[in-house]
Amino acid sequence: MIYSPFPMRVVSKREEAPGVNTLKLEFVREEDHEFFKAHYRTGMFGLYGIFGEGESTFCVASPETRKDAIECTFRHSGRVTSTLANTDAGDIVTFRGPYGNRFPIEQFEGRNLLFIAGGIALPPTRSVIWSCLDQREKYRDVTIVYGARTVADLVYKHELEEWKRRDDVRLVLTVDPGGETPDWQDHVGFVPTVLEQAAPSPENTIAVLCGPPIMIKFTLISLQKLGFEQENVYTTLENRMKCGVGKCGRCNVGSVYICKEGPVFTAAEVSGMPEGDL
Amino acid sequence: MTRILLKQRLDDCIAAWQKAGYRVLGPVKRHDMSSFDEVQKASDMDLDLILTERTIKDHFFPQTEPLIRYKIGRQQIDSETMTPPEIKRVFFGVRPCDASGLAIDDPLFGWDYRDDYWFRRRENSVIVAIACTRADDFCMCTSVKLSPDSTEGADIMLRPLANGNGWQAEALSAGGAALLDTVSPMLQEDSSEAAPVPVVAAKFDVEKVMAWLADKDNFESQFWKEISLRCIGCGSCTFLCPTCHCFDIQDEGDTYSGIRRKNWDSCSFALFTMHTSGHNPRNVQSTRWRQRIMHKFNYYRGKFGVNSCSGCGRCTRQCPVDMGITETLQAISNLPR
Amino acid sequence: MGIQEQYRSEAAAMLSSGEVKLVIGFGAGSTADRRRPVFARTAEETGKFVLDPACIANLTTYLVSGGLLSDGKKVAIFLKPDSIRSLNILISESQIRPEQVVIFGYAIENGEIMPLSGRSISDFTEIGGRIRSATPPPAVLQEAEQIEAMSPAERFEFWKAQFSKCIKCYACRQACPMCYCKRCIVDVNQPQWINTSSHTLGNFEWNIVRAFHLAGRCAACGACDRACPVNIPLRLINYRMGKEVKEAFNYYAGECSDQQPVLASFSQDDPETFIL
Repeated sequence: MIYSPFPMRVVSKREEAPGVNTLKLEFVREEDHEFFKAHYRTGMFGLYGIFGEGESTFCVASPETRKDAIECTFRHSGRVTSTLANTDAGDIVTFRGPYGNRFPIEQFEGRNLLFIAGGIALPPTRSVIWSCLDQREKYRDVTIVYGARTVADLVYKHELEEWKRRDDVRLVLTVDPGGETPDWQDHVGFVPTVLEQAAPSPENTIAVLCGPPIMIKFTLISLQKLGFEQENVYTTLENRMKCGVGKCGRCNVGSVYICKEGPVFTAAEVSGMPEGDL
Repeated sequence: MTRILLKQRLDDCIAAWQKAGYRVLGPVKRHDMSSFDEVQKASDMDLDLILTERTIKDHFFPQTEPLIRYKIGRQQIDSETMTPPEIKRVFFGVRPCDASGLAIDDPLFGWDYRDDYWFRRRENSVIVAIACTRADDFCMCTSVKLSPDSTEGADIMLRPLANGNGWQAEALSAGGAALLDTVSPMLQEDSSEAAPVPVVAAKFDVEKVMAWLADKDNFESQFWKEISLRCIGCGSCTFLCPTCHCFDIQDEGDTYSGIRRKNWDSCSFALFTMHTSGHNPRNVQSTRWRQRIMHKFNYYRGKFGVNSCSGCGRCTRQCPVDMGITETLQAISNLPR
Repeated sequence: MGIQEQYRSEAAAMLSSGEVKLVIGFGAGSTADRRRPVFARTAEETGKFVLDPACIANLTTYLVSGGLLSDGKKVAIFLKPDSIRSLNILISESQIRPEQVVIFGYAIENGEIMPLSGRSISDFTEIGGRIRSATPPPAVLQEAEQIEAMSPAERFEFWKAQFSKCIKCYACRQACPMCYCKRCIVDVNQPQWINTSSHTLGNFEWNIVRAFHLAGRCAACGACDRACPVNIPLRLINYRMGKEVKEAFNYYAGECSDQQPVLASFSQDDPETFIL
């Protein structure tokens, strides 16, 4: 029945950064898992919940190439996320989804990929990154530009190490000025600035960009300066959600319902949306 | 010659429908408010009302709908999906604006994901509409290209006879035909004329409105601030509207168990779009008013081919500050080109 | 000249001179008997103002919504005694600075309208006397007496039937000048004190909480009662709460703007031994 969630068991919890946790969830019922495997593509989101508290919306941070479990990463900020952050392995939570549209990664094949993310927005990007790295031969150069306010706020620290060690991935890490530790070896500066310094070529390149609205705004300007066409830049939008299936009337930006026609959009599509509704 | 139902046979019809397993609901005035509620006989109903204060939407999309009953436990899941009651109902005396409200909302509740809370109720209900013979200053069905005898959403249309003795009866759907069959002994062939429908002059030019709303330059127009200055964000217009469908999902209970519910919500409320971060895309009333109008006459039409308004006029009729959508749409129609 | 013309021209003068940034008054409504709130920012917009016995709404709610007075400028507003009473309450609760409000006062008696003299709140000293000597409308008294004659069980059934209509639209809250909380108790979700569902419990919770939150603060203006789309007789609840406060504390809210809020202030010689 619509609005009925799947029960999920917490397999593990990992603290990524202060206030930010990743939960790995497995399906309790095999038929729910089959449904997920049949429908999930990278970019889609879900409503993660706990009975008695409610549901909260975030992306599925695990890639479409690894569907044995669901990983989600979130900041502990409200009623539901606080309770989720306090779960332990073995606890039961709920998942409703996967909903929304997807990154059309088959259209990225044979092209260079540029991933840009800021802070807590790495999770949706990470889903695409692994979907591509798990099929590495289909894509050409892979560049990841990721920044956070401070070193502590970088998420997926182990994976960042892994990407750094790979010679088929170029990783550009940065923290905001003042956020570096004494032994910080990578860049210092805001993501748009560091991006312009890294100067990736727009030639045959798809950019995937996720971050807080202010970072997206300035990064889009930088990408434009670097010569990227808006149709080749993908981003995700988020909004307050409740139903996730286009009925509660809450998540629209202009005429576009983020839960049904998003959350993945090209920069061209976003520029057609009314900014006053964002 | 058409089939007619005389008023004096209405009690027999109600009895026949109840015998066939239907609950019969009609317009009633109870506790100082008019709405649709269960009736046992014709005299329970107030069929002279121009329209009821509450809409029949309440019976298809209730203010609070239990979705899931749950018990709270950390390591086990104990939940039971709750489904709407499968009760057969006849809605007798529905005005065309209310009936069309149901038809307008059908595509939304069926948009890819089927909301069975809505559809099971729709499938188990028969809508018997009665065409209007009177209108008041707030009615605006004709402005949204409907009419006092529009058949949208109705299974049966009853047209009041000019002599006041009853109605012409016409089945509009298979469900309507089946319902009329259950009372065919109560109907008779007659050539009595139907009363004329009231002339409801159009209050605004809806084509002009839609064109103005579709122009992206008008999204940030000062018009929105000017027109919505007196709106107090009370939400009554959305709650009494036959087509408004926004809702919230809330878990309600104690530390041991509870029910997850779907409750009405309103885009006019200040916290409707508030993010947990504190960012609120629509944090002033004018942006919320704009959303209401754009949704009804632009976004909804773009997705489902119909405006999300049946012209009933309730929004203005009971707005505490005499607002409602009519004035806004008139103002847009009257804007200089 | 009549009161309407007099106030229109004064309002126009105040806007032209820049003394006030906005004038809030009444204008013609969508039907002949309706009036609606109208906002004038220029002298010529004051031509829209209408002032007659149909102008009964309480406009003070606009003074505390949307941060209207947060820029420190002055606003002129058309108020009748119950609205002036609301203004007194808001000032005594530190929500409005009295120097920011210019009042065009009027009273409606026996279907006639007359001006009240005074422009600043401190001029309206007779409001306290008016409140103390005013009698509620006979219809309200009659309805209240009928309920007071009921047994507790009958009263409960009466209110259960009335509250069953509640759809949690919160129009009562939005229309009320005294409901100015930035985050109303029903909007708090950690924890969710009041259910948003409109079943019997949820409806009682909301209506009773609101009645108590307004006890000793209600100006009896009727805005909530008129706003309620499902015709719940909120006037009766507020009338009764007002009566209780008067009997317990000999207190009428809104008599003057430096009154101490009755349930939010206490002194050493209070008869109660504890703050509750």
